[in-house]
Amino acid sequence: MKKLIHYCLAILFISAGLSAQEIVKPERQSGHKNENKFKELYDEFATPNMFRTGSGAPGPGYYQQQADYKMDIELDDVNSKLSGYETITYTNNSPDELKYLWVQLDQNMRAPDSKTPLIESTFTEQAQSPSDFVKKYMKDQLERGFHIEKVTDTNGKSLPHMINGTMMRVELPKSMNTGGKFSFNVQWWYNINNHVEEGGRSGFEYFSDTDNKIYVMAQFYPRMAVYNDVEGWQNAQFFGRDEFALPFGNYEVNITVPADHVLDGTGRLMNRKEVFTKQMMTRFEKAKKSYDEPVVIVTQAEAEAAEKLKSTKAKTWKFYAENVRDFGWASSRKFIWDMMAVKIGDKDVMAVSLYPPEANPLWGDWSSKTVASTLISYSRMTFDYPYHKAISASAPMGMEYPMICYNFGRPDKNGTISKRTRYGMMGVIIHEVGHNFFPMIVNSDERQWTWMDEGLNTFVQYVAQGDFGAKYPDALALGDTEFPSRRGPASKIVPYMSGNQDYIAPIMSKGLNTHQFGNNAYGKPATALNILRETIMGRELFDYSFREYAQRWKFKHPTPEDFFRTMEDASAMDLDWYWRGWFYTTDYTDIGLKDVKRLYVSSKPNQAAIKIAFDEKKSIDDLEPMVYFVEEGSDEYNTSMKNNDPLQNSTTLKEYLMDNFTEEERKTIESPKYFYNITFDKPGGLVMPIIVEYVYADGSKERVTYPAQIWRHNDREVSKALATQKEIVSIKIDPDLETADIDTSNNAWPKEIKQSKFEQFKSKN
Amino acid sequence: MKAVKILFLTLLFSLISFAPIHKFYVSVSQIEYVSEKQSVQIIMRIFIEDLENLLRKRYDSEITLNESEKESQINEYINQYLSSKVLFEINNELKKFNFLGKEYEDDIVFCYLEIENVSKIKDFKITNNLFFDVFDEQQNIIKTNINSEKESFVLTSQKNKAEVHFKP
Repeated sequence: MKKLIHYCLAILFISAGLSAQEIVKPERQSGHKNENKFKELYDEFATPNMFRTGSGAPGPGYYQQQADYKMDIELDDVNSKLSGYETITYTNNSPDELKYLWVQLDQNMRAPDSKTPLIESTFTEQAQSPSDFVKKYMKDQLERGFHIEKVTDTNGKSLPHMINGTMMRVELPKSMNTGGKFSFNVQWWYNINNHVEEGGRSGFEYFSDTDNKIYVMAQFYPRMAVYNDVEGWQNAQFFGRDEFALPFGNYEVNITVPADHVLDGTGRLMNRKEVFTKQMMTRFEKAKKSYDEPVVIVTQAEAEAAEKLKSTKAKTWKFYAENVRDFGWASSRKFIWDMMAVKIGDKDVMAVSLYPPEANPLWGDWSSKTVASTLISYSRMTFDYPYHKAISASAPMGMEYPMICYNFGRPDKNGTISKRTRYGMMGVIIHEVGHNFFPMIVNSDERQWTWMDEGLNTFVQYVAQGDFGAKYPDALALGDTEFPSRRGPASKIVPYMSGNQDYIAPIMSKGLNTHQFGNNAYGKPATALNILRETIMGRELFDYSFREYAQRWKFKHPTPEDFFRTMEDASAMDLDWYWRGWFYTTDYTDIGLKDVKRLYVSSKPNQAAIKIAFDEKKSIDDLEPMVYFVEEGSDEYNTSMKNNDPLQNSTTLKEYLMDNFTEEERKTIESPKYFYNITFDKPGGLVMPIIVEYVYADGSKERVTYPAQIWRHNDREVSKALATQKEIVSIKIDPDLETADIDTSNNAWPKEIKQSKFEQFKSKN
Repeated sequence: MKAVKILFLTLLFSLISFAPIHKFYVSVSQIEYVSEKQSVQIIMRIFIEDLENLLRKRYDSEITLNESEKESQINEYINQYLSSKVLFEINNELKKFNFLGKEYEDDIVFCYLEIENVSKIKDFKITNNLFFDVFDEQQNIIKTNINSEKESFVLTSQKNKAEVHFKP
């Protein structure tokens, strides 16, 4: 059976080859460069070196700098002002001599001389509401931005420094050599922004009913910039949208706030006994052993009482964090506080939530459970969560810092919790807690490569949301059986990828410069990774390689190449074509069924035979015996061929069988009865596998995936010759919509007449 | 200077907050002329959040979309809003559309509009002022497929009209 099929297929191929050679080019063509979509990415990738190897792992010379902080911070709640004194100890692990240090002053993005508004193109509305007008033109506000009071060495001697926008250069008294350490002090203060009205990734939210604030603080202190082998000193200014690149270090932070504030942040709380009441201590001990339900440390009634009383005393909370890249904290007298334990490996981690009464019952029911479930999912996909806690604090934004994140989603004022609020809140908690892994631990440069943290994180978020919905069906809205994910499934990226090319950018673009930040940095890379996992690599190879990447680069600074290379190195799959198409271009998938031709076996020499005879200058009778195929509907075709067995139609074939096989063997040979030439075309630029479902006359189905490499010789059109026992009645490409094919109207044979979306809606309603 | 600064900061707000949500105020209108049905079929894709925000501000602060209550009332509001903000002129004549309804998918509302009895199109003009009353940097994308010719436009409050003309 097999043999015979191969024989027939070989002949099909030969005839196809002949017709291709027929095309005569009248003029000599000019040469060209290698533009093959399977060309390796040697031109795009940095050359591997001692710092970063060709395998995608850190090389023998890999280094990273360390920045340790000691800080005393004081919050002036009445004036919404934050001041601090910090000592930064910087360790130069690079082989380079450093003459100066760069410090990030992110608050200067809001300073009067900030360039952030200047790089935006703006215009005056022709019609404006009076409230907008007042907000825009008439409301005054305090001046924002850092006030740097002094920069001194350990002896209190002033150090020369220069501020360039959101960065400050500090001159070293003498150059730092490899292994050198340098400590210096910065004293600073700034007016905290109202992040609800002014925007921002940190700040306060104001509650007018009780005149209270919730502070969710970050980028609140001068922070060391990254110095590395790729960029030298990080030199991209902070404009507000693109996030951060920070070195790892240890933090000792003392924060003084009003005595009735509840506060939590990055690191271990070192003076718990001083800041907790006895009752809180008892509840905390109980929470450490509560794996299923959160235990409330500060109750709603206690928070509501504190809101009214407003202590005038102060209290200092002391934290110590090891090996983190940043520090964040949240503080308010409005906070309810709950915690539960979650087993990660053989360790207990605390899932923690801080939220005002306005966020209940949603937050009390689901925040800490969502945190716990997220840690389990991400630990499975990457490495065991290495920190001792993860906090979710309620604020109308979504932003992440080590061990702590700020998440939106509260019931409406009338108490309704809409589906969107519910899923939005759970989704954002999963997303922001997930950021602990990318980029807080696998510490890529967010400012340069937004997709490396947002894209990877949104991909794992998609997996974690599935887990969460399965673990807590009660969390889902009535009637839902799974957590709805809008980023991850291939079909959901189609509107973006089929959109106006003027407004889309390759994933390998800096976030600041893209039009559609969400699709560009979150949606498309997450989908690309999901397709890579489900369709291209398979879960086993993908998950192993993805974990390998996470483990190689945890607590380090990876680049895009380190990710791309590791995925290939750990899977034995050359994926350069995938990275090239999905990450370096804005090409889209569109693969179509161009043509399906049925063929019949004939013993009469056909046009192809006449051509062979002509080319070989022989008469037809002198040709070697051959099996001939005739296309249905062609001049040589007659309907009698339709019902005959291929063997009846070809004497040559019969003779060959008689001469080469014994009678016994011939009995076991089964000849194929149906022959097809199927042509696939590719209007889209992306090379992707062709996933085909063949449906036979008896109703049975067969799935065949032709790997993407089928397009390596011809990027526009390829064909497959098929010989089958059963008649094919229909063919469909990408039946499960897993390749993000932007036009599925060319995916079926016979052509499916689909009702338009509009007609579907109209007939339904 | 201060006023200008505040204007910029306000504009900035919608750009930088809500990291994981869309930060891109945009609607997409797909307009197709089906000549055999003499019908102009319009599908508008709008973020649920934007629409809810708008309906709350304009009509009823208690509204929540996609929660099965008040949907017919919501349809009336949407119809009222679209009718006041979107105008179609075909062959230089103002044409009324029927609001057929809407459906929800993930974070998007699909609104279906139809203009009937259009026997041919020589000139087509759309004026789209959607959301300019609430979002400064709103962009309304228009994609037309009329007489087998595809066009696409990005409308802003400065340029709120798109026109297509066909040779007789």
